[in-house]
Amino acid sequence: MTMPGYAIETRRLTKQFGRVLALNEVDLAIKTGEFAALMGASGSGKTTLMNILSCLDSPSSGDILLEGTAVGELDEEGRRLFRSRRIGLVFQQFHLIPYLNALENVMLAQYYHSVVDEPSARKALDDVGLSHRFDHLPGQLSGGEQQRVCIARALVNRPGLIFADEPTGNLDEQNEERVLDILRALHRDGRTIVMVTHNPALGAAAERIIRLNHGRIES
Amino acid sequence: MMLRMVLDSWRRAPGRCGMMVLTAFLAAVLLTALLTISVDIGDKMAREMKSYGANILVEPAEQAVLPELFANGQGALPAGEAVLDEAELINIMSIFWRNNIIGFAPILSGEVESATGRIPVIGTWFNKSLPLADEPDFRTGQLSVSPFWQITGVLPDDEQPEVLAGVELARQKGWKPGDTITLAGRDITVAGILNSGAGEDYAVVAPLKPVQEWLDRQGKVQAVHVSALTVPENELSRRAGDDPDSLDAESYDLWYCTAFVSTISHQLEEAVSGAVARPVWQIAASEGVIITKLQWLLLLATFAALLAAAMGMASLASGSVMERAGEIGLMKALGAGNTEVELLFHAEALPAALAGGALGSAAGWGLAQIISWRLFGAPAGFNWIVIPVIALLSLVVAALGVHLASGRISRLSPAEVLHGR
Ligand SMILES: Nc1ncnc2c1ncn2[C@@H]1O[C@H](COP(=O)(O)OP(=O)(O)O)[C@@H](O)[C@H]1O
Ligand SMILES: [Mg+2]
Repeated sequence: MTMPGYAIETRRLTKQFGRVLALNEVDLAIKTGEFAALMGASGSGKTTLMNILSCLDSPSSGDILLEGTAVGELDEEGRRLFRSRRIGLVFQQFHLIPYLNALENVMLAQYYHSVVDEPSARKALDDVGLSHRFDHLPGQLSGGEQQRVCIARALVNRPGLIFADEPTGNLDEQNEERVLDILRALHRDGRTIVMVTHNPALGAAAERIIRLNHGRIES
Repeated sequence: MMLRMVLDSWRRAPGRCGMMVLTAFLAAVLLTALLTISVDIGDKMAREMKSYGANILVEPAEQAVLPELFANGQGALPAGEAVLDEAELINIMSIFWRNNIIGFAPILSGEVESATGRIPVIGTWFNKSLPLADEPDFRTGQLSVSPFWQITGVLPDDEQPEVLAGVELARQKGWKPGDTITLAGRDITVAGILNSGAGEDYAVVAPLKPVQEWLDRQGKVQAVHVSALTVPENELSRRAGDDPDSLDAESYDLWYCTAFVSTISHQLEEAVSGAVARPVWQIAASEGVIITKLQWLLLLATFAALLAAAMGMASLASGSVMERAGEIGLMKALGAGNTEVELLFHAEALPAALAGGALGSAAGWGLAQIISWRLFGAPAGFNWIVIPVIALLSLVVAALGVHLASGRISRLSPAEVLHGR
């Protein structure tokens, strides 16, 4: 994991939705193992950038290199494979499947990655402090617990890149702190983390803050 | 886990799954009925072709309608019903084309009292002696008209109190060849069990004479089945069939001296007073063509039913896709391919289709029986091939439906779904 150099590099990355220029020639470089916070006003293009970085969307123009792979040149199938192998996603709304229990929700990521491996799914939940919640359905878990299941799911395939879009947006302060602790631990572990947040206190926890304004990088 | 994903969809949207089952059910009903009938028509036809049965039906002019085997349903014949004279039937052997007549058999049907209630009875000649001037030991009857009859036991003697019991009736009553039964107060021997594949299977077939007595119709018959060798129809015979008088003298002579079915029918009408004769279930090539056309038509209807069912399935599957957009987006974000997601919807639809298909083919089987009774007065033959075909078609319909809906799956962008745009 401690590969030297950059985990994420973009050059003149641009995304246009009809007339709206959501990203305007973004040049960005994030080192391997770096913990970066992406901040900016609502509508500044944070989610758009995250979607492209996490291979959920493709840019209108510009280049993007993830761990040395030019993912902008991949087709949908290629991006899908890259995403399942190398990227972990943490969502603001958790997006857990309501009728699968915590363990199964984590195993779903294994299923679409390669094969289901229950012991390592248990281990992932254990790592986020949920070893007593394997059999609970999302509806039986608190918001903080659901977010931790979501993080366990993002981690279970041991991706190098972790993207979290407003991971604590739906959580109270106490749970926010826990999630932050987990992210810090992942950072110590050598993962590259990009986290979108509104919260300056959260941003301060990251090594570096990237500010977006109207689709451009400010700092 | 995958099973849970499918099961949950059924639990959450029982209505939609019910609709899927119903769609498959209706399609299967239609398909089974259509297939059974179309296969069966072919079989019945092939049987006729092989056996070369009666091809002309002679009836009283006043009631030249579809032959009703069981005269007006129940009981004795209504008084005044048009009939033919049995004594005139011998004239059939004196027509111009008598040498083309293979045989003929009169029919008189009704119901009589048996030990266990009223049962249908058909009076006819089995192989009756009918001395002709130039052929004193001439015999005719069902033996020559219905060579396809399968008889277990022996053919009854026309002059003895012996009958054939239709195979279905015999099964119902538990009769075997050699049994003695009571009909209209008389002891009668069951000489054999008859399997004709038609209405006779449900009746007692008896010599004409006692039936005439039971029904109080001495010397009368309702219809005559005639089996004659004919040459294929042509333009001339079709014109004559419409109205022989419209032909000029030369054409008329040519027609009269050719063994067209219309010629022989015409001569039969001249021979039996008050009779009309018409070709029935004709083995002529033209009939075969009609059957083939009918089968094509049925096949086309089958195809249309399939297509409609697939469209129905597609719209149901689309609904399911829309409802589960969030899950689909997540699965795709986690790396699921479109095919993998589609598989989930197949797993949802296929069992529904199988269930509907199974129920539907049972119901369709019933429908085919009803149709067959109406059309042929006999049940449709059971064809095992229909079952796997329907099962397969149900699955194909469901798979096609889901596949039609799968465009929605691939158009679903995980980014848009997950971020609620
Ligand atoms: N799928 C889309 N279609 C049209 N416009 C979009 C789409 N996604 C984002 N936008 C526009 O792009 C801009 C940036 O949006 P977004 O990346 O969601 O900002 P943020 O996450 O920082 O609030 C906004 O003006 C938004 O309206
Ligand atoms: Mg956003």
